[in-house]
Amino acid sequence: MRNKKVHITVIVIFIIIVGLSFYYIFRDSVGESIKLGLDLKGGTQIILKPVEQGTEEVTNEALDKAQMIIMDRIDKLGISEPLVTRDYNKNLIIQLPGVSDRQRAIDVIGKTAQLEFKILQSIDENGNPTLGPALMTGDKLVRAQAGYNSNGQIVVSMVFTEEGSIQFEKITTENVGKQLAIVLDGEIKSAPVIRQAISGDAVIENIDTLEEAKDIALVLQTGALPVNLEMLEVQTIGPTLGQDSLQQSILAGIIGFTLIAIFMVAMYRGLGLISIVGLLCYIIIFWGILAALQAPLTLPGIAGIVLTIGIAVDANVLIFSRIKEEILKGKGKFAAFNEGFRNALRAIIDSNITTLITAAALYRFGTGPIRGFAVTLAIGVFISMLTAIILVRAILFLAVNSRAITPGFIGVRLPKVAKEK
Amino acid sequence: MGKSKNTFKNTGKSTDKIAAEARAYRFNFIGRSKFVVIVSTLFIIAGIIFFFIRGLNLGIDFRGGNLMEVQFTRDVEITELRKTMEDLGYGKAILQNTTPDRYIIRTTELTDEEKTQILNGLDKDIGIIKPLIQDRDVEAGFSQTITRNALIAVAISIAGILIYVWIRFEVRFAIVAIIELMHDLLIILSFYTITFREFNTTSIAVILTILGYSLSDAIIIFDRMREELRVSRRDRFIDLANYSMNKTLVRSLITGTTSLFPIIVILIIGNETLKDFAIGLTLGIVSGSYSSIFIGPPILTAWNNRFSIYKK
Repeated sequence: MRNKKVHITVIVIFIIIVGLSFYYIFRDSVGESIKLGLDLKGGTQIILKPVEQGTEEVTNEALDKAQMIIMDRIDKLGISEPLVTRDYNKNLIIQLPGVSDRQRAIDVIGKTAQLEFKILQSIDENGNPTLGPALMTGDKLVRAQAGYNSNGQIVVSMVFTEEGSIQFEKITTENVGKQLAIVLDGEIKSAPVIRQAISGDAVIENIDTLEEAKDIALVLQTGALPVNLEMLEVQTIGPTLGQDSLQQSILAGIIGFTLIAIFMVAMYRGLGLISIVGLLCYIIIFWGILAALQAPLTLPGIAGIVLTIGIAVDANVLIFSRIKEEILKGKGKFAAFNEGFRNALRAIIDSNITTLITAAALYRFGTGPIRGFAVTLAIGVFISMLTAIILVRAILFLAVNSRAITPGFIGVRLPKVAKEK
Repeated sequence: MGKSKNTFKNTGKSTDKIAAEARAYRFNFIGRSKFVVIVSTLFIIAGIIFFFIRGLNLGIDFRGGNLMEVQFTRDVEITELRKTMEDLGYGKAILQNTTPDRYIIRTTELTDEEKTQILNGLDKDIGIIKPLIQDRDVEAGFSQTITRNALIAVAISIAGILIYVWIRFEVRFAIVAIIELMHDLLIILSFYTITFREFNTTSIAVILTILGYSLSDAIIIFDRMREELRVSRRDRFIDLANYSMNKTLVRSLITGTTSLFPIIVILIIGNETLKDFAIGLTLGIVSGSYSSIFIGPPILTAWNNRFSIYKK
């Protein structure tokens, strides 16, 4: 029979998909198959907002550059698996897994590192200096290095590019006898008197610790951020909190699944059993996809999964109650199965699409973890349609002619239902 | 189909009986909806009153400030911790224990020095374990972004759902769906104002979830009505609506129950963050289920009685 071949093909395809999922789940080790988000793994998240200078709007190019520079700085700090993303409001979201000492990261990442050389024109009686225009900026650096000068003071020495050298020599030649202020992010770091024209390099003084000097050198080397950034939120999750959440969710998942299985079998007997096979495949495929994509799973993501289990079961409940109804109308089992699926399908698709509409809106306008939730919700709705409709249908229709399929198998007790009515 | 029998052996008489009574229904939901509408309305009014009296208990995401969750080396009474915090000059801090030896401490924004001073003070008096379980600093203005984003997401979702239901069903169904949705959202918000439970980004995520999910019950019932409208020669919409709901009732109950299983387990064993999720989802599922039965269909019925083109 042709139909039979189709059903067997569908089941074979699902076996292959489940096999593939198992491959991804067991590729490394089961425990590490899914990449965990910051809230489950622990670490620091920093949200930075670009500050508009006057009326000038922050451009996407500037943000792209800022994102790259920040990534570069994080790499130089030696933090593993960092993630720098942008949200819908142009905020930069920086995730540093495993980092619980956050102060240094904050110091380095958020620093604009705008280095300027200006002539000190005068100092008023209160000690407030008046500076001339910026003669040169920090983008003409080849290298910056932390170290000590001959007096044992901590300094950052800078080596200019060829162009920078010439420019610096010109500035110093023209301003012999004056004080040259070295300004980092608006703060005068030092203002040495120019005794003679200098062509080689320059140093930044007045640094408290060697650590700070290293950080300054680091940010100078990665370049100045093209935008000023303001810290909106800094969040550190310790490793224990995430582990608790994860373990509790897994436990809740196992208990919840068991309860659902018992309930479905009690309500729908053999049909329930088939839907549990579908649900198991659903969970394995979902797990496999998360493992294959290596998309970080967050706590809201887990909530999304829990919710989609409900959606997956619902599809089967809808189909089964339609089948029961058709059988009660006195239809034959083949016709009842056919009608049941057909009648339920419209409702399933309509309700799933409204869920998908919300998931899309959440993804577009949500921040961080909410996006993770939207993604798992959408993936879940798709897989649940595959397993709860296509797979369960194939299994059912393959078995439809078997003698095992009786009203009892489906959980219909004709006389009793009639009496209740 | 080969040799196998393609029909069940029906116990003749009973099947005939079912067929004869096929269009009868057991529960008159619409007739009893008044009571539910009143309860819902009272709950929402109470929610609004509480909102004006003391507002929402906004979390750190909205107010800005600092939140630290600290693990102590021993069990601590809240009065003892309060005393220590007062001595440190932070008597107004909000304290909440998550386990006997673990506390969430919320304060206004702290500088690094202030934070160090608090932690050192706590370590000296009680003893704490580092690293902290969590530590968050939030700029006060940040909430505007979150709220704006959430409102945009809600607006887009509602518009999308409205258009979709309109296309798939009819305009009256679409508008009633949105009314049900608003009802569910108001019930959840009222829950937050009445219980004064902390309202944070998790709450927003939950509300957005409910937005997508609570409608599924309504859609299933609408689908049934759509089907019955096509085939039924009944003279009254109210009977058709009641019949549709009776037919989908078992499914609604089973789905509601199975969806709630894992969520209720989380409510029992989960930590604070997980509970935040679970409570909101439970509320949303329950409210979504009953609004699709007791709020939407009565409005549809009233609508049909009002406009003669739908009158049957």
